[in-house]
Amino acid sequence: MFQAAIIAVLVSLVLAVWRALAGPTVFDRLLAANAIGTGTILLLALFGFMTGRPEFLDIGILYALLNMIGTLAVLKFFRYGGLGHRGEDEETGA
Amino acid sequence: MDMAINIASWAALLGGGFFYLVGAVGLNRMPDFFARMHAASVSETLGAGLLVLGMLLQAGPTLVAAKLVIILLVLLTTGSVATHALARAALHDGEKPLVAGEDGKLAAVDPDTLFTGLGARLAAPLRSETVEQPEQDPSKP
Repeated sequence: MFQAAIIAVLVSLVLAVWRALAGPTVFDRLLAANAIGTGTILLLALFGFMTGRPEFLDIGILYALLNMIGTLAVLKFFRYGGLGHRGEDEETGA
Repeated sequence: MDMAINIASWAALLGGGFFYLVGAVGLNRMPDFFARMHAASVSETLGAGLLVLGMLLQAGPTLVAAKLVIILLVLLTTGSVATHALARAALHDGEKPLVAGEDGKLAAVDPDTLFTGLGARLAAPLRSETVEQPEQDPSKP
């Protein structure tokens, strides 16, 4: 049964990569990147269970934390919908 | 008893895989960004939740189960926060959602007409971003 779930997650990852490459807006790409991160974590956990080595879950937790930090960093970057937002220094500076 | 747990676990794993796949297909087939975000959250909540439930039933009450619960909690919290922030960023950027009109055709609509005052609220700084001015105490120099 783990094999079936792994195949489903792998196909979903391919579809998410497709959306990340094709996505018309930057937000589509971000959404797909987020989905890829989630898929990676689940894939690691399922793979560990399939091979009888649940130690893979530690790597999954690591990826979950990295995914969280990465997502929040990128979203803060895109808080104003683009890369061209002026920083505080530029606004107040002469 | 073992057999019953196994069957429940298999059902959860198969259901989780199915919903995960449905979410990924929706991510590609939905017409606009907000609908795609809706489809992606299916796989992040129902799909991931069922997959982790299936693995939990296989693991039994061990340390592995605790790690699985940690993974699920992290996924659920970050998924919702990221979706919320992503939607806000997209609205702020002027992304127009598709809404069915009178004739049933989908058309891009300015979100300000759907929710009055949305543009002003998006333009205003977040509460966490406003710097509180230190109170001036007149008795002290």
